Amino acid sequence: MLKIENLHATVGGSEILRGISLEIPNGEVHAIMGPNGSGKSTLSYVLSGRDGYEVTQGTAMLNGTNLLDLEVDERAAAGVFLAFQYPHEIPGVATFIFLRHALNSVREARGQEELTTPDFMRLVKGKAAELGVKDEMLKRPLNVGFSGGEKKRMEILQMAIMEPSLCILDETDSGLDIDALKTVSEGVNALRSPDRSMLVITHYQRLLDYIVPDKVHVLSRGQIRHSGGKELALELEKSGYAEFVGEDAA
Amino acid sequence: MTAVTNIQKTDVELGLAQQFDDTRANLPGNDWVDTLRENAIRSFAKLGLPHRRVEAWKYTDLRSMLKEAKTPADSDLNSVSDADLYQALGADLHGLGAHHIVFVDGIYDEENSFIIGDEAGLVHMTSLAETLDNPPEWFMQNFNKVNPREDDHVVALNTAFMRDGAVIEIVKNAKLKRPVHLISVSSSASGQAITERHFIHVEEGATATILESYVHLCAPDTQRNSVTELSLEKSARVNHVKFQLEGVKAAHLSNWMVSIRESANYRGFQFTIGAKVSRNTINVNFDGSHSEADISGVALLRDEQHADTTMDIVHGVPHTLSRELFKTVVDDRGRAIFQGKLTVKPDAQKTDANQMAHGMLLSDTAEFDAKPELEIHADDVVCGHGATSGELDEDMMFYMRQRGMSMDTVQTLLILAFVGESFDLIEDKEIRAAFIAMAQAWLGGKTGE
Repeated sequence: MLKIENLHATVGGSEILRGISLEIPNGEVHAIMGPNGSGKSTLSYVLSGRDGYEVTQGTAMLNGTNLLDLEVDERAAAGVFLAFQYPHEIPGVATFIFLRHALNSVREARGQEELTTPDFMRLVKGKAAELGVKDEMLKRPLNVGFSGGEKKRMEILQMAIMEPSLCILDETDSGLDIDALKTVSEGVNALRSPDRSMLVITHYQRLLDYIVPDKVHVLSRGQIRHSGGKELALELEKSGYAEFVGEDAA
Repeated sequence: MTAVTNIQKTDVELGLAQQFDDTRANLPGNDWVDTLRENAIRSFAKLGLPHRRVEAWKYTDLRSMLKEAKTPADSDLNSVSDADLYQALGADLHGLGAHHIVFVDGIYDEENSFIIGDEAGLVHMTSLAETLDNPPEWFMQNFNKVNPREDDHVVALNTAFMRDGAVIEIVKNAKLKRPVHLISVSSSASGQAITERHFIHVEEGATATILESYVHLCAPDTQRNSVTELSLEKSARVNHVKFQLEGVKAAHLSNWMVSIRESANYRGFQFTIGAKVSRNTINVNFDGSHSEADISGVALLRDEQHADTTMDIVHGVPHTLSRELFKTVVDDRGRAIFQGKLTVKPDAQKTDANQMAHGMLLSDTAEFDAKPELEIHADDVVCGHGATSGELDEDMMFYMRQRGMSMDTVQTLLILAFVGESFDLIEDKEIRAAFIAMAQAWLGGKTGE
């Protein structure tokens, strides 16, 4: 379970997150929606520990561990997985090699044994097949020359392999056509589990037709202004953000 | 030129002149060789040690870098064992199944050298010292003339002081399966001057891999001057690879002079990991049409290492192709230099030439200087060049660390990926794998001593 309390963070000296409190119990999927510049992506970077995002107040506990005390890779080992809006291309590093280093790094940190090569191959090929990722792609350098949809699928494949306890999906729907959106959403839904929390960041309600959230939060000017059930997403789509964030809300 | 001669000679230059007088009588060779030496030392007297006002030596000022003229290594062979060579080369390079031609402190070591029986008829090898004492006619006609660089300070010194080396002939249409491995190991505990000269002739239609390794057992402030003259006859195909892991205080001055005839294919590669100061000059002349050269390299530098790769590719005939890809990683206060000169002569229509040099800097004090120089005198050609210098990409590192990888793992993967593009150009799989393993060890901080 993720428990964020009064989280404040600055980027380049200006305060972007202004006191966020949020609880995502295990097994639940929460969506965060909000206009451009509201702090959605900042929240994902603060939770995952990116340089340049300075936390000035508050805590973010994942299953009892304060994430904010940990390095980026330690947070990953603690169970944080961020599916990037724009996954990076890693020239010269074959996808297989990348996945193997990733998995074995977190396994080592979690006190688990390294997977043998055959076990690893079986795991990756099995998950890849479920997501429609071809074997040939696994041999290519990660994300290099992949289409937008292929990159997002690859993010979900990584998520499936790494077995995180907190999945953060940052604008996973951007750049996807309907078919790719369906496949990716099915991949995400397959990962819903009683011991996993998910935070889905999105602009549009469209993604939430496929990944149905337990709760929806509206983020604006660095604070959560409104929370509700899955139907909130539909209302937002109809009436826009203004009604929910209020002009004088700050 | 007058300006240069008027400059006061440095102690090192005077010392070299004195050494020549002292050792000349003991150097191998008949009168013809002695005349070569005489002319060379005269030309060196005019040129002096190169300094920063000589354009080709702008970044590597030997006049200030070489503080003393080291005593030439004497002609007594220090004894090394095969186990010593194993230690100096590492298991991978020692275990290539190659023909071994070994030089200890610049002297041919017959004991440790062998041409393996199955290819004995295809590779003819004699030591340079032996050849110079009794040079055959063909040798006199060609030696010191393969892509000659009369104005090269270091080559002039090499010709004056050359003591030993390999004279190799790969016979016509021979298809060698085993690499020919020239192993130059320094074994002396005191710093000395080592002058080696190799002369390699690959006959028509022959295929060979020639690996030159410069390694050390002790690590004093050795000064090595090594020149390789290599000629590829018609349709010859040569992989020419250099591995340089000299001791940390050593100076390594190397010159490759390559001539490529019609329809020949030359693939050069240099892996630089050792020495305090190294200068790697690669001169390639296209002397026949429809020929190709693909020259690449990797340098890994740290501490205060200085490595200079200077290329001079001359397209003198039509329909030739050249490619260069050099990757350099510099840490600490290291400094890397890449100078790439491409000349396309008026007759050399349909030249296709491309040159790339990329540096990756791992510290704020590391430096990479790249200087491309294109001289194009023909109009129907395709020539390109590019040079970049950068650091590891922050966004990429964040992405990988978010996937659980430690900073060390991320750096290792990204740096290996960076240099991997050049290593991939080495055709011999075993040599490639050996180099990649060494690059990995270097990243783990285990190499460089």
